[in-house]
Amino acid sequence: MEGGLYALVGVSIVLVYKSTQVASLAHGQLMAFGALFFYAFYSLLGIPLILALIMTFAAAYLMGLAAERVAMRPLIGQPVFAAFLNTFALYIILDGVFNIALKGGVVDFPDFLPSGYIKVLGANVPISQFVSFIVALLLFGLLAIFFRYTKIGLNMLATAENHQLAQSTGIRVKQVFSFVWALSALLAAVAGMAAANVMDISFLLPNMGIKGLTVALFGGLDSIPGALVGGLVLGILENMAAGYIDPLVGGGVKEVAAFAMMLLILLVRPYGLFGQIRIERI
Amino acid sequence: MYRPCGVFDKTYLKDITIIRTWQHWAWVIGALLLLYLLPVLGFGYYLISLINSLSITIIAVMGLQIVTGYCGQISFGQPAFMAVGGFTSAILMSQYGLSFWLALPLSGVVAGLVGIIGGAPSLRIKGFYLAMATLAMHFLIMWLILHMKITGGAEGIVAPFPKIGDFELDSHERMYYLIITVMIIMTYAARNLVRSKIGRAFVAIRDNDLAAEMMGVNLYYYKLLAFFISCFYAGVAGALFVHLLTVGHPEQFPMFDAIWYIGMIIVGGMGSIPGVFFGVIFLRMLDELVLFGSPILAELFPWLGDAPASSMGLIAFGCILMAFLIFEPRGLAHRWEIIKASYRVYPFAY
Repeated sequence: MEGGLYALVGVSIVLVYKSTQVASLAHGQLMAFGALFFYAFYSLLGIPLILALIMTFAAAYLMGLAAERVAMRPLIGQPVFAAFLNTFALYIILDGVFNIALKGGVVDFPDFLPSGYIKVLGANVPISQFVSFIVALLLFGLLAIFFRYTKIGLNMLATAENHQLAQSTGIRVKQVFSFVWALSALLAAVAGMAAANVMDISFLLPNMGIKGLTVALFGGLDSIPGALVGGLVLGILENMAAGYIDPLVGGGVKEVAAFAMMLLILLVRPYGLFGQIRIERI
Repeated sequence: MYRPCGVFDKTYLKDITIIRTWQHWAWVIGALLLLYLLPVLGFGYYLISLINSLSITIIAVMGLQIVTGYCGQISFGQPAFMAVGGFTSAILMSQYGLSFWLALPLSGVVAGLVGIIGGAPSLRIKGFYLAMATLAMHFLIMWLILHMKITGGAEGIVAPFPKIGDFELDSHERMYYLIITVMIIMTYAARNLVRSKIGRAFVAIRDNDLAAEMMGVNLYYYKLLAFFISCFYAGVAGALFVHLLTVGHPEQFPMFDAIWYIGMIIVGGMGSIPGVFFGVIFLRMLDELVLFGSPILAELFPWLGDAPASSMGLIAFGCILMAFLIFEPRGLAHRWEIIKASYRVYPFAY
């Protein structure tokens, strides 16, 4: 069930990569801020649930817009590597702000989902995890519809193909970029709330971004179905590694399983399972 | 290359020298003398230990500069390779009784060999993918170190002080001479390496690896060589670091250091050996400034709580990194070249 969560982070990274060719490291922080916003609105200010959710999404959306405007926009046309490093800088800045907000402690995430267990296929699953899983699947469906039938979704697909061609057909590429970032920040916020539901808001939360990157790499950085598959596979793999290998070597395998998988994937299939293979010309 | 008016190179040897005129020699010798006499001149413990850690960082970052700045292969694994070097040296000395002077180069070689394994993915992937692969490598290496018997696991390992005969280098002041000597040798080697055939091959690979291959640069050999050299530097730096602290522990080599090192290269300037010095010193000064300034800040804004010290450092570091990427992508070294050039031609514009 953790797989759905990983898939959500993965898809928010894929979304950005697909349109802007930049793999973002900052998404772990965007996740963490999503959770933090919800905590602030719901627990601290006592806003009713639905309104708090809407405000969280709005805040995440604005944050994505701001991130794109401040960090990514000035680097359009520069080498992609510079933009990649800039997401790193963004990660570091947000990390600092996040630490200040946390004051070095752990914040209990409000339980807005009912606790208890539910039987799925004969296994006991906490309701909160089940709900996040369903939400992840729903969002995937919505994304598919969005890309297929709405104008801006089609614009995004066109931009992903080729920036210059898209621009010459009248698509405002810059606008698409900022919308992509906002949308992906929104997805990351949902993922962050789901993650915080399981593990509370601590300095560990942003590390989920690296897991998301693993997922995105596994499925191919420009493939949305790939992210879904990758997330589910990673979720299963981690728990199997923890179950079968941990007793042999004495613990801690769960943390490195993702990285071992990432290394293996990169060596065997550098473009991921469903990724498009790029042919280079001089 | 720049020549002052009236200086003509009559031999080939003179044409390729780095230090050209007697004024250059005066500067170099003066700076070296100052560096070596610092402890005698009575500067405090603080400055000496600061220069120690600066020098170790400079060695590690110089390795990263060779592989990332010159060869274009991004590596986030530098702290892990430092850890490999440090642990190798500590194990060789404390468990096999080797002398430090043998353990130091050996630790570099072992780190280099591990680096070849870590750099092997660069044969198939590049850019961002390679960065992620080296990041994965970092976590795997750190996990191994934490779980192997020989490295002492979570308890760490004791690293004895180096000895010259019976004279123990058992303090920061005494280690100082060793560390800056190694640093100067490594700098000299790097400065010459990057203008040799190997260095030019690296630059060709960085600019366009396909084109480089067309021109007859053996990509496999040179990419792996770049990783070997880079990790050799990291290994030596790690060994010095571990022996300076007399204890080796996985937590001395956090993942975040890799980000700092990359940041230092960006701030200093990609593909420039002086840039390493600029970047390391600039960011370390920033760090010290934040350490100094954050208590004042905490007093001014009490609602920030007691977390600001590290967080303010992070924010400042991130902002500076971003500013450099956007406004000064060629780093401080480029700015320094501009200043030098304008000083040279002073009354005229160019």
